[in-house]
Amino acid sequence: MGEGVATLRRELRQLVREHVPPDFLGAFTADPADLEVAQAFCRTLAERGLLCMAWPREFGGRESSPWEQMAVREEMWALHEPRGAQYMGVNWVGPTIMRHGTAEQQARHLPPISRGEVIWCQGFSEPEAGSDLASLRTTARRDGGGWRVTGQKVWTSYATMAQWCFLLARTSKGARRQQGLTVFLVPMSDPAIEVRPIASMIGPHHLNEVFFDELRVTEADVLGTVDEGWSLVQEVLAFERVGIARYARVERLLHEAPTALGDQWEKLPEELRGRWARMLVHARRARLLAYRVVALQASGRIRPDDSAAYRIAVTRLDQESAEVLMDIVAEASLPDEAGRRFRRAVADHRRYSVSATVASGSVEMQRILMARALLAAS
Amino acid sequence: MTAVLGAATSTDMNTELSDEAAEYGRTALRAFEAAGGDELVQAAEREPEKRAGLIEPLLDEIGAWELDPRAGGDELEAAAALCRAAGWWALPYPLAERLCRPADGSTAGLVLAAGTGAGVGTGPAPAAAVAGAGQRWSTVTLDGRRGVATARPLAEGPRYGAFVAELDPEPVATSTGTGTGTEDGTADGRADAALALVLPCWTLLGMLDRALDLTRAHVLARQQFGQPLARFQGVQFQLTDAEVERVGVEELAKFALWSVQAGHGDAVEDALALRHAALEAADLVFRVTHQLHGAMGFCDETTLSWISRYSQPVRRHPLSLSATRDHLTRRIGRAGLSGPFAGPAGAAGAAARAGAGSAAGSGEEGQPR
Ligand SMILES: Cc1cc2nc3c(=O)[nH]c(=O)nc-3n(C[C@H](O)[C@H](O)[C@H](O)COP(=O)(O)OP(=O)(O)OC[C@H]3O[C@@H](n4cnc5c(N)ncnc54)[C@H](O)[C@@H]3O)c2cc1C
Repeated sequence: MGEGVATLRRELRQLVREHVPPDFLGAFTADPADLEVAQAFCRTLAERGLLCMAWPREFGGRESSPWEQMAVREEMWALHEPRGAQYMGVNWVGPTIMRHGTAEQQARHLPPISRGEVIWCQGFSEPEAGSDLASLRTTARRDGGGWRVTGQKVWTSYATMAQWCFLLARTSKGARRQQGLTVFLVPMSDPAIEVRPIASMIGPHHLNEVFFDELRVTEADVLGTVDEGWSLVQEVLAFERVGIARYARVERLLHEAPTALGDQWEKLPEELRGRWARMLVHARRARLLAYRVVALQASGRIRPDDSAAYRIAVTRLDQESAEVLMDIVAEASLPDEAGRRFRRAVADHRRYSVSATVASGSVEMQRILMARALLAAS
Repeated sequence: MTAVLGAATSTDMNTELSDEAAEYGRTALRAFEAAGGDELVQAAEREPEKRAGLIEPLLDEIGAWELDPRAGGDELEAAAALCRAAGWWALPYPLAERLCRPADGSTAGLVLAAGTGAGVGTGPAPAAAVAGAGQRWSTVTLDGRRGVATARPLAEGPRYGAFVAELDPEPVATSTGTGTGTEDGTADGRADAALALVLPCWTLLGMLDRALDLTRAHVLARQQFGQPLARFQGVQFQLTDAEVERVGVEELAKFALWSVQAGHGDAVEDALALRHAALEAADLVFRVTHQLHGAMGFCDETTLSWISRYSQPVRRHPLSLSATRDHLTRRIGRAGLSGPFAGPAGAAGAAARAGAGSAAGSGEEGQPR
């Protein structure tokens, strides 16, 4: 990974120091200024060619190595993802449009993503379709040259701030439920779309319901082939699986704890410091499992189940470390600003970690994937 | 294997052991199989006094005695691969300890002593599964203090003792009088301590490999309720969780080996981190693999029961899970383990952002400081 990666880390840390306030805890807090920080930070990254580094040159990227991409994922997640919601456009919306989009779709959607100007949301899950995504009911009914989409999505992250939605809907009934699904790229500004925020423990502007009432879409809005959206969705989910370097925030918070506590650190129960050390081991383990996936990626030998062990380990780490960190801050009084900031960061980590084993597909789906590979009769 | 684990320059991101080392491990696996495989540990248990005679010629045959793990590079990796192969067959022999014997041949091998102080009584007496494989053993503490110890005669047959012998430290003359080790640990001594922790973890890894392999085969073959056990999600999920533990140990084992190889200042901490994860993994893996074998898993005719019994020495000595955690916690203090977010306030953390200066240079890529 070498010097390039080290330099990249330094550059990213420097940019965060310059452009992101020290008490930033993500773009989706009650304070609208945080969203603006993230939006501005994306433009800053874009100006320096750091937003879409992984993209091919023809789309304005620099074809960075999987190891550089990993460093970006780590640095950003460690510092509360200052790209806000835009990591989705960069990580999977853009690449999927590159592979499956028409020339017009590419020209329309890729430049704004690469300039850091647009937020996308993912319209997959529905009230009746969670883990069993293929059972979704939102339907696009033929209407002249196009379709009319009616139905409801749920848990749609960032829908209130998004300009576009990567929408999965049923266009026909196939022999298998995975057939007859189609991906549409739809503008959230359409009056046929209504977004209702869902109050939740993971922040006021994160989860939403999205209602579609006779939304008019045309062939030009279809990504890929009509009725064959399922394979696109599988690609997207594969991008997401290695997407979040959760261990990076965990490692950062664990390493910050002794500094934040000052001389109270030594007064912690010894057993609690033992649990802290254990979490450091588990964080390193998760990081090495992530590197194993990246190495397989880099060698082109990756299979869908390869990231499963990583996902299982890292989501458990997220939750266990949160419990340990919460205990650590509970055992200390942290009166100064830096201390309060640390306590807030830990509490934020705890609230987010609860969803780690559910978001982007529950961890049981990873276990199923892994078991299938493990138990395939050899 | 250095690249992904820490080398700052390579573009070759191979996380595997070198091809030579991996091939050597496969050769060893086949040689042990040809010599009896699972029969070896059973024969040694029946006739404990014959175990050295049973195993040593085999090791001779595959050139094990020519390996010098302290030479680093391919030889260290080959030693690790060999230990892993030995674990697969629960080879009844203190291979890791013997591979680390001093170059002058003055003792049979190297055993980590749990205590940290220089004097007698600073920790439990060293113990390892060395009975009958040599009389005098070099010892080293985590601080790198060296000594020599003599194996006591076996108090218990291998059926229950698994060849574990306690070691009596020999008094050693030091500058301040008579102690049981040199006063100050040396860098060499600490490197030896790391080595003496890491290699047995590779043996344990081989045992985890085997326990899971046996269990996978068992749940595919065993039918209940008209279908293989492997069809039940409750079975699948237990197995996947155990497998996550196993691959986690594999990655940490490669990392710790790299740290030893690089002569790294944190090699002892990295080795303790590996041992901690390996012992936790062993706890879960053996619980799950026994559970999924049902009653069959406790029987002598089932290989799992042998692997399970003979995994005990390496899991309890030289440090239990709790002792490993205690040592690790004490040694890392406030600094934590090395890594990209180590260093002052996590390198990039709030303090750094508040102007504590750039610490981004420390611990790049999980590379120890
Ligand atoms: C923070 C967050 C953000 C999200 N963002 C989005 C988004 O932007 N867009 C979007 O479309 N969706 C989003 N989701 C939804 C997410 O994809 C779903 O929550 C996830 O797929 C699980 O579906 P569910 O919540 O309906 O749980 P269910 O499918 O109802 O499952 C509940 C639990 O049952 C168990 N379970 C289910 N099926 C099985 C099985 N076959 N075997 C064993 N156990 C099983 C699991 O433990 C599972 O966690 C988000 C979710 C979260 C938490």
